[in-house]
Amino acid sequence: MSWSERLEKIDDYRWRIPRDHAAGMRTDVVVYASKPILDQIAKDRSLEQAANVAMLQGIAGPSLAMPDMHQGYGFPIGGVAATDVEYGVVSPGGVGFDINCGVRLVRTNLERAEVGPRIRDILHQIFRDVPCGTGGAGFVKVSPKDLDHVLERGAGWMVSNGYGEARDAEFAEAGGVLEGANPDKVSERAKERGRPQLGTLGSGNHFLEIQYVERIEAPDAAQAFGISEGQIVVLIHSGSRGLGHQVCTDYLRDMDAAMKKYGITVPDRQLACVPVPSKEGQAYLAGMRAAANYAWANRQGITHFLRQAFERVFGKTTRLSVIYDVCHNIAKQERYTIDGNERTVLVHRKGATRAFPPQHTEIPRDYRDVGQPVFIPGSMGTASWVLAGLPGAVAETFGSACHGAGRLLSRTAAQKGRDLREVMRNLEEAGIYEKSETKTGILEEIPEAYKDVDEVVNVVHCAGIARRVARLRPLGVIKG
Amino acid sequence: MIPYEIVEHTADVGFRAWGETAAELFANAARALMEIAAGDAENTRSEQITVAAAGHDYESVMVNWLEEILYLFDTGRFAPTDFMVERIGPESMSARLIGEVRDPARHPWKVIVKAITYHQIEVVERNGRWQASIFVDI
Repeated sequence: MSWSERLEKIDDYRWRIPRDHAAGMRTDVVVYASKPILDQIAKDRSLEQAANVAMLQGIAGPSLAMPDMHQGYGFPIGGVAATDVEYGVVSPGGVGFDINCGVRLVRTNLERAEVGPRIRDILHQIFRDVPCGTGGAGFVKVSPKDLDHVLERGAGWMVSNGYGEARDAEFAEAGGVLEGANPDKVSERAKERGRPQLGTLGSGNHFLEIQYVERIEAPDAAQAFGISEGQIVVLIHSGSRGLGHQVCTDYLRDMDAAMKKYGITVPDRQLACVPVPSKEGQAYLAGMRAAANYAWANRQGITHFLRQAFERVFGKTTRLSVIYDVCHNIAKQERYTIDGNERTVLVHRKGATRAFPPQHTEIPRDYRDVGQPVFIPGSMGTASWVLAGLPGAVAETFGSACHGAGRLLSRTAAQKGRDLREVMRNLEEAGIYEKSETKTGILEEIPEAYKDVDEVVNVVHCAGIARRVARLRPLGVIKG
Repeated sequence: MIPYEIVEHTADVGFRAWGETAAELFANAARALMEIAAGDAENTRSEQITVAAAGHDYESVMVNWLEEILYLFDTGRFAPTDFMVERIGPESMSARLIGEVRDPARHPWKVIVKAITYHQIEVVERNGRWQASIFVDI
């Protein structure tokens, strides 16, 4: 039976795969999508993957799929799953290899008219000052002991060691540091991989984009976030580099072996999981939190070098201020009302962004009247969005929204039959300049490889999960 | 018999590998991984190191073997160009890696491979022929 016959329409933006769809499902899947987006999602195996997630032990509420969903490993990208902290499981695959991969948006006191004509200068300067691509080593030199402090203190350690300004860390999810991180639960290998890479962008879909605010849709929230039309902002997309990848690898190996002991079976081995309270589960969470702290420190380091680059090109009066920093690969303990009962759950966000509504105590005071900022980077050369969390997110999606446009084409399919010079020319004609280490890097991330970001954002806006605040347009991109 | 082929995946990449023996399969899987990660980097010197990996079935031994290679490459300890599997079983293996200490200038990443996944993993012997299917996260 095809997906179109199995999916029940709830309304124009919500669809359900009922739990009787497949043996082993403990709950429904709810997909947030418009009909055209749903048709795109149904082309790969992501719906089947969301149904597999519904089989996890102790899953609370439905297995959720955001409109940017696409096929991942085990878990779909754009998936949210909450598990009970007492009798549910924790799954490293539900967080991903790039632990606390996330997005930070930085505003400047510059206008499009000032930066536009000098876009090449600033891109070249950033390319020199912010280590990116596959080169590896960064400019932040930390001793093994310092690295342990980074793993414990996250962005705050960077700020107190000269890599940033006092308010930077405050304007990050969780203040840029998760409690309960334990550096001893991060292997020596993970530390060896991560130590030279602190403050580096990485490669793949990681990037740094100079954008201008094209249009404001919610003036109250835009004012709170300090953005207005024509203003230059910079979006940073990076994660926990080799350190996070190794932490996930290490615990995946442990859990793959330990599942038998706990009598757990999964439909795909990448969904390997153990009970949250188990020794293995708690060790993973302590290591994952340390890796998450590394990622916030990493984006903080990048912010510091970005400031230097802007000051070199635009002078000492240039000011860069962090608007906010959100993670989109994480597992966090949070409390929600589920079927009338208040429960503590472990929310796995795999390619999904936290989107807390106004008055939530976990968002900075400056934003409390308007909701938490949520950043949705679009594909290279199109547009990105600033959103603000709404009460619907807490009521329905464990405080989560989408995290991007979502891939449509595989990386190889994106490259096939496309000419780099033509892609570059199209970008330049649109007034966008690109700097990338590799040719494949640019071709892989062409706009056609992604869903329409406006359409994706429209779904979460209309579903009452997060509202549109501002649309951003790129001027220049550094591809990792 | 072709040693391996690269397979597409929406966000990432995978490969299938084959071998007359388990030892040949594991060597071919390592070659496939290095083609994805490094392309055809040439070595000017030939050094050898020995690598061991363990697990609780052929799939987990395979993942841990490929992870060893990634770790050596990412940390700059070694850039392998060829692989000789000396001992192989469902719980452990060992192999010699031929190559040299990695010089990032001469052995750049082609694509940073974050990790080896267990997604739809398969390592089997079928009709006297070994084959594996692996996805990697990039």
